[in-house]
Formats: sequence, C-alpha cells, structure tokens
Amino acid sequence: MKLRRASSVAGLEPASNSLLLAGGTEVVPLLRAGILEAEELIDVRGVVPRGISGPSIGAGTTLAEIESSPDVPDALREACRLAASPQLRNTGTLAGNLLQSTRCWYWRLNWPCRLHGGDACFARDGEHREHAVLANDYCASAHPSDVAAALLALGATVQTDRRSLPLAELYRVPSEDDRRSTTLEHGELLLSVELPPAGRSVYLKAMERKRWAFPLVGVAAARSGDTARVALAGVAPVPWLLGPAGLEAATPLPGNAYKLEIATALVKRALAQLDG
Amino acid sequence: MPELAVNGHRYAVDAPVGTTLAETLRDELTLTGTKIACGEGQCGACTVLVDGTPVLSCITLVHSVDGAEVTTIEGLRDHRMVESFVRADALQCGFCTPGQIVSAVALVESNPSPSSDEIRHAMAGNLCRCGAYPKIEEAIRTWRD
Amino acid sequence: MARLIRTEKEIEGRYEEVWIVVEEDVLEQWPPGPLNVVGRPAPRGDGLQRARGEAIYTADLRLNGMLHAAVLRSPHAHARVTRIDLAPALAVPGVHAAIGPGETEVLAGECGFEGAPIAAVCADTLEQARAGVAAIDVEFELLEPILDSDEAVVRGSLLGEPRVRQRGDVERGLAEADVVLSAEFRTSVVLHNSFETHQAIVQWVGDTVEVHISTQFIWGVRDEVAKGLSLPPDKVRVICNYMGGGFGSKNSPDDYTFIAAELAKRTGRPVKCALTRREEHLAAGNRNATIQRLTVGAKEDGTLTALRGEYVNAVGWGGWSSPTEGPMHLLYSCPNVASTTYPAKLNQPPMKAFRAPGFVEGTFGLEALLDELAAKIGLDPLELRRRNHAEQDPSDDRPFSGKNLVECYRRAEPHWERRHEVRARSTDVVKRGVGMASQIWYGGGGPPSYAWVRVGSDGRATVVTAMQDIGTGTKTAMAQIAAEELRIPLEHVTVSAGDSARGPYASISAGSSTTPSMGPAVRAAAADARRQIEEIAEQRGDPDMPLGEVVALLEDAQVLGKGARGPNPTGMQVLTFGVQVAEVAVDVETGEIWVERVAAVHDVGRVINPLGASSQIEGGIIQGIGHTLSEERLHDPSSGAILTTSFESYRLPTIADVPEIVSELVDVPDPNLTNLGSKGLGEPPIVPTAAAIANAIRDATGAEVRRLPITREEMLRALREAEQRQRESERSEAPARV
Repeated sequence: MKLRRASSVAGLEPASNSLLLAGGTEVVPLLRAGILEAEELIDVRGVVPRGISGPSIGAGTTLAEIESSPDVPDALREACRLAASPQLRNTGTLAGNLLQSTRCWYWRLNWPCRLHGGDACFARDGEHREHAVLANDYCASAHPSDVAAALLALGATVQTDRRSLPLAELYRVPSEDDRRSTTLEHGELLLSVELPPAGRSVYLKAMERKRWAFPLVGVAAARSGDTARVALAGVAPVPWLLGPAGLEAATPLPGNAYKLEIATALVKRALAQLDG
Repeated sequence: MPELAVNGHRYAVDAPVGTTLAETLRDELTLTGTKIACGEGQCGACTVLVDGTPVLSCITLVHSVDGAEVTTIEGLRDHRMVESFVRADALQCGFCTPGQIVSAVALVESNPSPSSDEIRHAMAGNLCRCGAYPKIEEAIRTWRD
Repeated sequence: MARLIRTEKEIEGRYEEVWIVVEEDVLEQWPPGPLNVVGRPAPRGDGLQRARGEAIYTADLRLNGMLHAAVLRSPHAHARVTRIDLAPALAVPGVHAAIGPGETEVLAGECGFEGAPIAAVCADTLEQARAGVAAIDVEFELLEPILDSDEAVVRGSLLGEPRVRQRGDVERGLAEADVVLSAEFRTSVVLHNSFETHQAIVQWVGDTVEVHISTQFIWGVRDEVAKGLSLPPDKVRVICNYMGGGFGSKNSPDDYTFIAAELAKRTGRPVKCALTRREEHLAAGNRNATIQRLTVGAKEDGTLTALRGEYVNAVGWGGWSSPTEGPMHLLYSCPNVASTTYPAKLNQPPMKAFRAPGFVEGTFGLEALLDELAAKIGLDPLELRRRNHAEQDPSDDRPFSGKNLVECYRRAEPHWERRHEVRARSTDVVKRGVGMASQIWYGGGGPPSYAWVRVGSDGRATVVTAMQDIGTGTKTAMAQIAAEELRIPLEHVTVSAGDSARGPYASISAGSSTTPSMGPAVRAAAADARRQIEEIAEQRGDPDMPLGEVVALLEDAQVLGKGARGPNPTGMQVLTFGVQVAEVAVDVETGEIWVERVAAVHDVGRVINPLGASSQIEGGIIQGIGHTLSEERLHDPSSGAILTTSFESYRLPTIADVPEIVSELVDVPDPNLTNLGSKGLGEPPIVPTAAAIANAIRDATGAEVRRLPITREEMLRALREAEQRQRESERSEAPARV
C-alpha cells in the first residue's frame, strides 16, 4: 500500500484501487478489518476545505470544530456533540461522517450480505433490534449519521468537485441493481456543505448509553419558513427525510418495532421544541 | 519516510504504509505507556496528543501524521494530572489510565476548571472497565490541588 | 505449629473438601476502628508507575528473539474440521512453526463454539503470523448448533446433572401462603472485557518453563501448566507483575498459554500469544445467560413460607454451573425452599467466573420478585427484607461468623427515605423512583497463603509473597497491614509480588479472597519479624527500644519473619452482606433510563483501605449498571455466530453513564475470622445493583422488567404491559352498568 498526498483536486486522479483518506476514523478500521482494500491511499486533507465560513462548511471540518462553533444551527451542533467520541470528533471530518458505512453487525463482520455483493440480508431474519424500520425490504441496515439527519432537516446542499446537489440526493436506498447507498462516483470528492438560512432547529437522539453510541433513533427538526422539516437517523438504510406520510410507511421487523415508538415520541417532541 | 516529534524528540520512521501511530510508538520507539486495548478506535486507551489534540493512535496511520508533534503519556509524566490521578485513586488496573490522563490533560489545558458535565462530555471516549470513573472525575476536578 | 486438617475450601461459591496444612492463628485481632495505618485511606503504592505508563504489563513485554503467535479459531458455532493443511502457512515469509488439532491438547478439530481454537502459527511479526493463519487450508463439515437453553434441557444437552437443593416442604409452604407469585426472569450473556486481553509469553530456560501471563492466579497457572506439560510444578515459573483486569476470566492458563508453550518448545524461542479484542469477545469467557422461573409464597404480613426456583444456566460449550440459586437458599429465613438448576450445554463460547457468578443473576430474579410481593401485600420493601432476616445460615442452621446486615439496613434508611421526595419530582413523561436490594455473597478467603517480611537496617520492610495485584489494590492493603504490625510508616514498606520463583504460595485473586486470605498471613509474618526485633531489644536490655534503633544494629543482617493464613472458623458460615438503594428516572415515551444515584452499604468485616474500598464499590456498581442497561452479547439466531465482537456493539458504560455513588462500609471486624476480621470486597458491590435498579424502575413506573439488560425495547415492553394491566384492573373495578 502506498500513501499519496493530493495537492490539487485536478491532481487526485484516483485509480480503481485507490481510497481517499481524510480523518481516517472510518477508513483505517475498515482497512484493518479487511472490509476495505486498497493499493493506494490518497490523503485529501490538503485539497478539501476545512472551516466554517458563513453558510458554507468545509467538508474537511472536524466534528469537534463544528460542535464548538457558535455559527452553526443548533440541530447541527447538537448532532455533532452527540456523535461518536471526543477523540473521533477531533479527527473525523464532516464528509467522513456523511459517507460512513452502516453499523449493521453483519456488514461490519463482513458477512456476504447484499451490501457486500451477496444475496441475503442476514439482519432481516436474524438479529435486527438496531436496524431499519423504513425502506428495509432489500437491506435492513440503518444509517448511523446524526449529522446527516441534522443537515437533511436543515435543507443542506452538497458541493462536490463535479456538481452541487441537495443532500437528500447524495443518498440512495440500495437496490438489486446498485448496492451502493450514495450517489457519489468513484473518486468524486465532497468539498463543502451549504446551509440555507435557518430558523430554529433541534436534534434529539436515543441511544443505549448516554454518550458514544450510534443512534437507535435520531430526530432532527428545522423550521423553514412556515413549515418544519424533520429527518431521522438510524431508521432506514439512508438518512430519512420524513415525508407527508410520516412514519405510517414504516415496515418494522419483528424485533425493532420499538424504534417506531421512540421515533414517534421524539418527532412530537422535536416539533414541540421548534414551537416552544 | 514520515518524521515526527515525539515528546520533543525527532524521529524518522521507517514503516510500511498502514502502520499505525500506536504500533510505531510501542514497537519502534518502545514507548509502551500508550496502550492498545481494542485496536479499532473504540476505547480510548491509545489516546495521544497530536499537535495538542487527543487522537486515537491505534487508528491513526503514522504516515498521515508526518511532521506532527506527538505527546504520549511518557511526555506528561511530570504533569500534575498524573499526581492527581494517584491521589484520587482514579485508577484500578491502570491499563486505560495513560489514555485517560492524556485526554484529561488536553481538557484542562483548554478549560482549567471544567464542570462535571464538561468532564463527562470530554472523557466519554475513554472507557474504563474497572469503573474508576467517579474518581477520574474527581482527579480532573482537583488536578491543581 | 503446623497442622494437617481436612477442610472445606470455597471459591466463588464452589466448595471442595481438601487436606491442607494450616498454622494456628495465634494473634489477637486489632481493636475495631481505624488504626495508625490500617483503616486509613492510602493511595495505591504502584499508582504512579501505572499512571505514568511505566508499569510493564504482559502486553508491553518484549523478550529477546520473541515470536508472535496467531490462532485459527472456528468461524462456526458447531463444526468438524474435515481437512486441514498447515503447509501453506509454513510457506508464508517469517513463519517459524504451525500446529494443528491434537498437536497440543487445546487445539481440536471438533468445534463446539465460534472461536474454538483449531490451529496456531508463530512468526517474527504478528502480521506474518496472521498471514500464516489466513493461509491455512481448512474445510469444515457444518453441524447443527444447539442455541436455545430450554431446548438443550429438553434434549438432554447438559454439562452434568441438574443441581437439586431443597429444605422443608415447598408444596406445604405454598399451601400455607396467603399470597403466591410466580414470574420468569432472564439475564443475558455479558463479557468481562478486561482491557488487557488474555495473553501469555512462554519461554524455555533450560529445563524450566517461564510463563509471563496476565493472570489472577500465578500458582494455579503454575500447577496447570506443569500438569499440561508433564513437568514438576517447580519447573514452571510464572510471572505477573502488572495485569490489566480480569474480573474472574483470568483464573487459568487457557488455550493461548498452551499454544505459546508448544510453539516455544518447537522453535526454541520465546513465543507470545495474545488475544485480539475480537477474540476476547469470543473465547475469553463470559457471564452466562440464565432463565429463572421463580415462585414465592408468603403470609399477609410478609413472612416467607416458600421459595421455589427452576434455573437454567446457559453455560455454553464448557465451564461450570454457577450458583444462580444461591441467593434463594442463603438470603432469607424461609423454611421451605427448593430449586433445580440445569447446566445447559450450548454451541456458544464457554462461561467463566465473572464477579460473583450466579449471585448477580440470581439476586436480580429473587429481589425483583420480592418487590413484586411487597407491592402485592402493600408492605414496605425494606420492611419485608427485615421480617425475613436470617439469623443463621438458613440452609443448614450454621451460625454466621459475623453478620451485620441489619446494621446495613439501618444505615441505608436515610437513602431509602429519599423515595418520597424522589417520586415527587416525577413529571408526566419522566417518572422517578427508588428501589433497593440486599446482597449476600462469599468472600471469607482461606488457607493456604503465605508471606515473608524482611526488615533491614534502614528500618524499611519488604513483604515478599508470590501473589498478584489485579488492580484491586491488594498490594497496598498488604503494605498497610505490615506497616501497622511493625509500627512503621506506610512509605517504609515495599511489596514484592508477582513471581512464583520469588516468594511463597499465595491465594488466587478471585472470589473476593485476596485480602482475607493474604492479609492474615502478611500480618503474621510482620508479627514474627516484630517479635524477633523485640527479642533483640530485650537482649540489649531495653524492651522499649524503637524499631528503627534496633534494626540499625543489624548492618547487613536482616530480620526475616514468616507467616501463614490460619484456618477459617470451624462450623461457621462466612459470608459478606449489604444493601444498595438505587434512584432512577424513566422517560415513559422513549424508554430512556437514567440511574441517578446509588447508595451502597456493605458489611465485609474490617476495612483495610477505605479509599481503595470505595473504588471497589464504585467499580462494582458501574459494572452492574453496564450489565443492567447496556451490555449484552448477541448472536445470530440461526447460525449461533457472535455478532457483538467490538466495543462499538458491546457497550461498556462510559463516564457519562455513571450516577452519583454514595458508599459506606460497616467496618466491624468479623470476630471469628482470622487475626484481621476482614472479608473480601471485590464482588459484593456488583451483586445487588441490577435488582435495585429494576426495583427502582418498578417504583417509578409500575413496570415489571423481567430481563437484563433493560434495553429501550425491554423498558418499552414492560411499560406497555403495565399500562395494559392498569387498564384491565380499572375495567374490572369499574361498577357494572345496568
């Protein structure tokens, strides 16, 4: 394995067996576990913007920097504050958090599941108490990003080296013909996240301990004009923007219906806090 | 070949890409005060300061900290926090303790009088299986005594 | 005078009859209360080395020429190796040797659990050894796993006979009862997860085997390794200077030690075999799951008339059947008690002792059921415990050597009284409550255990004994005892421990036994040294001559004292006692639980080091909170593969999960137990925590939690069930409409 430091976006030129590396809090453990393989690591910290300037947050900004910034909406700050552990927030970047893989234990143990190219979702018939209750037909993995839920509720858009897109379009529910959960092309680099003017916002998180756990359910709500947008973490294979059907569309598995109870309570609470 | 300053001493590290900072510290520099308890970035035992910030050395590639200033527990041996941990009995088996102290030092360097909530927030990434937590909190609260 | 006696030896609630040589305990106990050094808070003597990262653990040790081993472990819960070829491993660069099934006793082709060791490879580096393991060509025949413990009982998959214990006539007791309640409780598998993983370095030095190992029992490792390698025990030297936690899982040498020994023999080099964290989650032992089907019968005034339990210990592929029924038989004075405990053999990793094995689980079931009883008959839960207090061992009427449980209850009253104020702080969404539970457990220690004390002309003393300090601070306690007896400052005592070649036999550090086993021996050795010093003083014609002046005469001569642990009192039951009171808050919409405060009052006889003791209590309670709320090993229900193999999915408590903890020790020497009157404190604090929390949750919400851990899912289930019950009772109480 080689490591190369990119000095410009144009100079990235990733090969098919290259991996982009910034904070490394996700990529390094996955490399060491044999889930990711690479012949070349490209350190992109020199080319990905870092820092907060007005409504634009560099994709290389660490969660710790966002957490301590007075200039970001409450939901985002709280999502960062409750994410991962202090050391991970010190190193982990905004882009890394948005692009992290599921915490599904089958996936992390490299079972030949659909996301790994296999033909079964082991969680659906197996142990799935922490898994998806929405869009879980093909793959029941739950997306763990607190930050993505907050940004989704805040109506963020994402700037890559190739395009600008609403955050919702960064994600896709994995399907038989395309197992990926993001729409990024190989080597496409996330550069920044742009926030529209924000009203009041809030992030509430249910986890199995008080800190340093991924969300069982995370609920972000943000006021935008007269309406409120609500997005959830931990309930679907992608961060979930709550539509007009609310949680009615949910298809809980035998062992995770309790998540809907939590989600219902937190959505109600988050909306009340927007008004309160 | 990455070069780092560890506790004020400069080293050029000859290691394959993929080698972690923790492996370099322990195996190459024999600084075994930095412990590896999970090797996956989940427990905090391997915490060291990189340019003053607590990071998990077991998932930090040594090649990605080229040029950095690294401080390990060996570089903090005379810090008052060490004495405070012993005085408060903030350690039992001691295996997580160097990592705890590194995180605690970083906390008080930026916030010399942290509240209980601030301590709990800043130290939540340093697990302790013996459950020395109440006394860790006390050691951090009273570190200047 | 040495004496050979036949005696009962107890470790972790397991008794065996043994012949042992004991020496009479001739010293009078010290008067109760804090003395000059004993009973005063002392920071641990080796704290600075540990805190500075200077302490060398087995994990930090590098011997010249040392090779690293990696182990091929079964990826299947139940399988048979049909073909294995180690040759590809030997072809990997850096690999020195590879061994497969049968080449040492611990490697086998029959795999009864995921993680069962099959083969091992050693190489210059760990990466090379792992590459060697990955290169091994192996094929399996998959076998059907047994994963359900009830099914195992039905199918007769048991690790031994069911254990039946009874007194009185339970059927009669139930017939006499005014109230009979039954409930089923379940506890889950939890893992020790010591921070230093299980590991050993083995090297052959001439005809002697040296074992550096992270262990709780230097002498047990020595004996088992000697037996396994067919060597005289004295040809095995075991060293453990610092160790990073054990909690019951490091009492024996296990597969990694024998793998390292065999590879060291074959290569002529020191070999290290260390488990990774993932292996630690599979093959390092666990607290097994239990099913407890319990029935209690009582009079209206709360007098217990019958207790009955059917217990299933989901032991796993190996291990032993822990005394889950123990609290039912020992805690209360109930005339009719019967239990059957089934040791289910499953295709799951073997259990090991984990901090009060059986009693943590059994106390949860029993004490939760007793609170349900208290609610049913409208009696204060603390009063219910008082009314059924056992004055002597209720199972065999033996007197207790010392018991101050009633005093624990008395001191817990102010904490218990807070429940009115705590409940009053409830809101519509967040309900608050208080619960309590009693604790009973062993912890008396016993012989044999020995110590030497060496005093030199500088007036300093060294305690020499081949014990280990597993992080509980026992070395510090031993230094305090020696300092007290010699009447010298604590700073003038050093403890030399951790090496079977450099000191006499010492106790296992398990079963809360180190302090009560070693302490009396250390005191006896110090007293022996002091007696000699006083004799010298008398010979100088000044019996009151200070110790420093006497020993200053010695120059290079030394005073050597030796001491042995005397026997436990004959015909008496030696136990520890206590009570914990927990305060919780429950969000009834989301199932979130906050443990806000735990007050602990325990009776463990004389306290040597109040500072270290409070740390032990806090640590036990915090582990107990982990077991109660967040820790659980999960497996795939069809294959039996373990799913939670990292700290991300297996969740230890963090500092943010810790409540306010208030602890108090009765601190009265057990008048019948040794020259110290001290019992052990390692395990008692974890025993009642889960039950106290479950009872507090019931007090807050009316919900009956029946399963550990109390995840959001279990909490919400219990809340909805309680609502349903409430609705039904309202419906049945509503006046009929005509």
